[in-house]
Amino acid sequence: MTRFAVLIVVLAAAMVASVAMGELNLAPRDVISALTAPETAPPYVAMIVNDLRLPRAIMALLVGAALAVAGTATQAIMRNPLAEPGLIGINSGAALMAVIVIVETGTLPDRLMPVLSFAGALGMSVLIYALAWREGTSSLRIILIGIGLGALAGAAATFVSLMGDVAAAQRAMTWLAGSLQDSRWPKVVTLAAWSVLPFAVLWGLARELDLFRMGDEVGQGLGQNVDLMRGVIILACAALAGAAVAATGPVAFVGLAAPHIARKIVGASHRLLIPAAALTGAILVLLADIAARRLLAPVQLPVGVMTAILGAPFFGWLLWTRRNE
Amino acid sequence: MLALALVALSLWSLTVGASAIPLRDLITALTDPYGASRDSIVLFQVRLPRLLAALSAGSALAVAGAIMQALTGNPLADPGLLGVNAGAAFAIVTVLSLTRIPAGPELVWVGFLGAATAALAVYALGSVGRSGTTPVKLVLAGVVVGSLLISLTTTVLLHDSGTLDEVRFWTAGSLKNRRMADVLPMMSYLLVALAVAVSLASQFTSLSLGAEIARGLGQNLALWRAVSAAIVVALAGTAVVVAGPLGFVGLVVPHIARMSAGPDYRWTIPLCLLGGAMLTLLADTLPRALLDRDIPVGVTMAVIGAPFFIHLARRRTGRNNATGAAA
Repeated sequence: MTRFAVLIVVLAAAMVASVAMGELNLAPRDVISALTAPETAPPYVAMIVNDLRLPRAIMALLVGAALAVAGTATQAIMRNPLAEPGLIGINSGAALMAVIVIVETGTLPDRLMPVLSFAGALGMSVLIYALAWREGTSSLRIILIGIGLGALAGAAATFVSLMGDVAAAQRAMTWLAGSLQDSRWPKVVTLAAWSVLPFAVLWGLARELDLFRMGDEVGQGLGQNVDLMRGVIILACAALAGAAVAATGPVAFVGLAAPHIARKIVGASHRLLIPAAALTGAILVLLADIAARRLLAPVQLPVGVMTAILGAPFFGWLLWTRRNE
Repeated sequence: MLALALVALSLWSLTVGASAIPLRDLITALTDPYGASRDSIVLFQVRLPRLLAALSAGSALAVAGAIMQALTGNPLADPGLLGVNAGAAFAIVTVLSLTRIPAGPELVWVGFLGAATAALAVYALGSVGRSGTTPVKLVLAGVVVGSLLISLTTTVLLHDSGTLDEVRFWTAGSLKNRRMADVLPMMSYLLVALAVAVSLASQFTSLSLGAEIARGLGQNLALWRAVSAAIVVALAGTAVVVAGPLGFVGLVVPHIARMSAGPDYRWTIPLCLLGGAMLTLLADTLPRALLDRDIPVGVTMAVIGAPFFIHLARRRTGRNNATGAAA
């Protein structure tokens, strides 16, 4: 439990830091007073904190948590520590659908985006699974096919964005890099609403996820309906990834790094791992966003670029540690 | 046969575009390079540089891919997938942004350096461990290094909107707005590298048979590996300067070439040369002809190449997987 307490304290500190830092640096004390008692704080501080930076920080938290949990479950059911919704193309599927929404309708119907992204993520998961199926799946095949499908969906997204007018294409391009720039309260609420159920489902299925690690035969022997469970989990993962991508665009490597870090902290049992991964993912995206905003200020990097710069070496390190397997 | 088809395709690509030039007018314009007619200007300022860019980038990448596949013993090797193109692109964008020199042919050396560094990094990361370089490890290493480099490139470009404007189309793998002065100097590098590649083809055949057999045939492995890597870097670096980071040509073409010519690289390399030029030209021209829109050739290429990659991945891992079905 102390481990969770530490994670929560780090997360709270990252939240405060994320809200305090920006064009105008605020003292942490002002931030806390603006959050707890907005009437007493100076009005401009309350405005900056509550209307501009808080939705962004909460969005970062939710996106990080959603992608991390989706990554944890994907790694479990694919029995592959390198599987990640971004790497194996699930995020690209969601992104493709979202780009179609951005370009074709012109105006963004916020409510339609998560639905279509979810459909894209789900379609992609099913396609990867179906193409990788040859009397059973092999995790290598899943990853390679995911990389291929991801490249295809990425090309299709570029194609679609080129078909639209210039303004829409530009919006699609910024969005495709994975950005928290456009975090508004309604989008935060939509993402939260979409994430709650799949998160609860995955946490509730923690024991089933543990079983998946042992292999299908063991699961069947212990009375698990393997195919049904796999279907439900894929559905939940697609919902999480789809909602996160709909909110901010694809943010790479969080779904890979967060579960690994969380596993080091709380161990491999999913009952603990899922909440720990959610917290870790939230912390990672918050910190990445702070770095993305402040490193080259006044230039604001998309957070997705930052997570890729941080995540790629992490992935390399993972490859290195698994080199003899 | 293939060469004739390539000539026909080239002529066709010259006629297609925002303003169609009928074949008869095309020939008149071609014979009169300094003519002042509209057709002649379009032809020599717009279409011809673009045609040359497509041909040179395509043949360079296809041959580079074939050599990489022989060198690494890896059917999934491709300069785009393995991050070599991304390395060249990152180096070029960084130098453009830092030095503010206008984009020019001397950038090719920067491209070589970037391509070489990325190739080394990917190979080092992909070959660690007891099992040596396996296709999957190499591809994963390529994806990692590639995505890191692409993110860094994006960072540089977001930081510097002047450079962004200059290279926007180029980073998407587009052949739009090529000038003769950009393309022609590249041709000399390219012709040298291609000539070397063709003349060394029999060495690549031995390399592709694996280390044991190659050593048995008396090949100096270290030497020829280094030579092959240098040729790959030269070809990929040049191609990136000409066409931007263009993926999948180097994957698709060598496979088709080997399917039709067998494992002898003395046939495969020339076939790749022609086939790569043809495929790239086709990918560049078809969207213009069919959709009346200018799609970056990198996009079209991914649409063609990714399903091919998936097909290869299915087949290869099926065979290597002990429990899976045999291919």
